[in-house]
Amino acid sequence: MSEIKAEEKAAAENSGEQDWEAAKAVFDTLKTKVPRPPKPQNAVTIAVSSRTLFNMVAERKLYEDEGLEKYVAFQVEHENEPMKPGPAFPFVKALMNVNTRLRELYPDSEELFDIVLMTNNHAQVGVRLINSINHYGLTIERFCMTGGKSPIGYLKAYLTNLYLSKDSEKVTDAIEEGIAAATMFMPEKESNLSSTQLRVAFDGDAVLFSDESEIIVKQHGLDTFFEHEKEFENKPLAQGPLKCFLEALGKLQRKFYAKNERMNCPIRTFLVTARSAASSGARVLKTLRSWGLEIDEALFLAGAPKGPLLEKIRPHIFFDDQMFHIEGAKELGTISAHVPYGIGQKYNKGKLIEQPKKK
Amino acid sequence: MVSTVQNTDVKQKDVGQAVVVAVSFAAVFEAEPGDARSGYRLGVALPLLQVLQKVNERLLEENPAEHQLFDIILITTDSWQQQQSFSIINSTRRHGLEVSRFCFSKEEDFIESLMQNNVQLFLTTDGNEALQATQQGVPSALLDKNLASCPSEQLRVLFCEDAIIQPHAGSTAASKKSAQQSFLAQLGQIRQKFGMFNSPVCFTLVTSRGGKDSCCSTLKSLRALGVSVDEAYCLGGAPRGPFLSLLRPHLLLSDGFTQLDG
Repeated sequence: MSEIKAEEKAAAENSGEQDWEAAKAVFDTLKTKVPRPPKPQNAVTIAVSSRTLFNMVAERKLYEDEGLEKYVAFQVEHENEPMKPGPAFPFVKALMNVNTRLRELYPDSEELFDIVLMTNNHAQVGVRLINSINHYGLTIERFCMTGGKSPIGYLKAYLTNLYLSKDSEKVTDAIEEGIAAATMFMPEKESNLSSTQLRVAFDGDAVLFSDESEIIVKQHGLDTFFEHEKEFENKPLAQGPLKCFLEALGKLQRKFYAKNERMNCPIRTFLVTARSAASSGARVLKTLRSWGLEIDEALFLAGAPKGPLLEKIRPHIFFDDQMFHIEGAKELGTISAHVPYGIGQKYNKGKLIEQPKKK
Repeated sequence: MVSTVQNTDVKQKDVGQAVVVAVSFAAVFEAEPGDARSGYRLGVALPLLQVLQKVNERLLEENPAEHQLFDIILITTDSWQQQQSFSIINSTRRHGLEVSRFCFSKEEDFIESLMQNNVQLFLTTDGNEALQATQQGVPSALLDKNLASCPSEQLRVLFCEDAIIQPHAGSTAASKKSAQQSFLAQLGQIRQKFGMFNSPVCFTLVTSRGGKDSCCSTLKSLRALGVSVDEAYCLGGAPRGPFLSLLRPHLLLSDGFTQLDG
């Protein structure tokens, strides 16, 4: 039985290799010298939806008011007009910049970011999307336009490391399937983001770490939480949905350190947590250390609002599991991404949300 | 020598307007092991025939006077099978297959039988047959047991760069072009009879090799031929296997149409 499986696996790998070599041959002959996309297993694959990459608010409204056919017809009619940038746009540009720096230092390496457009849109709308991508010179060479089908299977087929969408249901499905994912929100005011350094901010509990500690806070209160964290200071927290993405970023950072570029590293990571350094911070730092992960700056707010601090940090993306923090960040101009994971989803500002009775 | 027998159980389609799909006998029926007299059991093509029938049903629901339907005919050059013509026709009836005609010919007249019957798509499990047909300008597709896992309510047609059959260079290019184009145009017309939601036909484009721009221009070429693709996947070298098993197409058609511009 296992012999057959091994043969099948070998056959699949072989045909995968053939697909790869064939693509390499095509890209190598392209006159425009577009760098060919890396093999999915080597790259850090970021899948973005069309509405996170571009601002499609008006078009979305048309779809909701007048239906699919009118929406597609409108997009086709306007397909030579590029769309405006969406919430993930600065993040994508920052990823591209990191790739440029990586290619300078490691011209033959495939350990790069690979950006994939993963959209539910009908393929005919795709023409406008591709034209817009070309208009801004974005290096996105792979896409899936699923015409309404769920993207989850395709996310897995691309070995996706992070999925960004405006649709919280899809994001929740992705997280349930073990894929790091977040729902993006457009900030309410513009801010000046770095064009030379990718800056990513993470909340701790229920984002990098599991929600085990948050459960204690919600169900037993802060005092119990502090006691618990002190007692278990040396026991690493379980991992959360974004831990692997932080890990992927760390791996790329080390490539810069290896070439003496630590001071000039184009990736910087931030931990922005409501925990306080004194009473519950140690466990977090020790957990990261036990995972062999570094975070560049750890900011313990001891319950203070995150908005003003994030405004100073100016990350290209900020991940948090609680909508309360997302709202606060958005208000002050931070591009925020909600991670719908853990006990935080059942609460709003500390109060348990009434769940509608299931039919 | 080509002989054709009509299936009197099935209403004959309008020859001028129907899309004639010829299926090789071996794809539809497998001889029962042992005794051939015990009849035939259904082969790999069954799910495809059923979904084509489903599309016809939906077309007639939209317009009871519809003439642009799929017209399914069975073709065989096997002389043993020809001697069994009675039991073949019986088996077809027994399984409720909407096959309108049976075509029997000698092997050397096989292409002639395709031409005589105005076949626009030839389906077979035999690679050689498919290659022959393609070289003579009849679009062909190879069928295999993966059909069993395809959806039964929707015909899924996949356009891709390298289908199983590649025509040799130097075959009669012009007539092949027009046969391809007219077949694609008809498929496109059938698709247009349904809306975007709940369509019994779905067109998918998958490009493995080139980047987004070549995929996009293929999308537009298809559109120019009247084929409005519903889903598009640009793999850029990522392995095709996982995608095909998600897409579950009934038919894989090569994008010979990109050569139509040349």
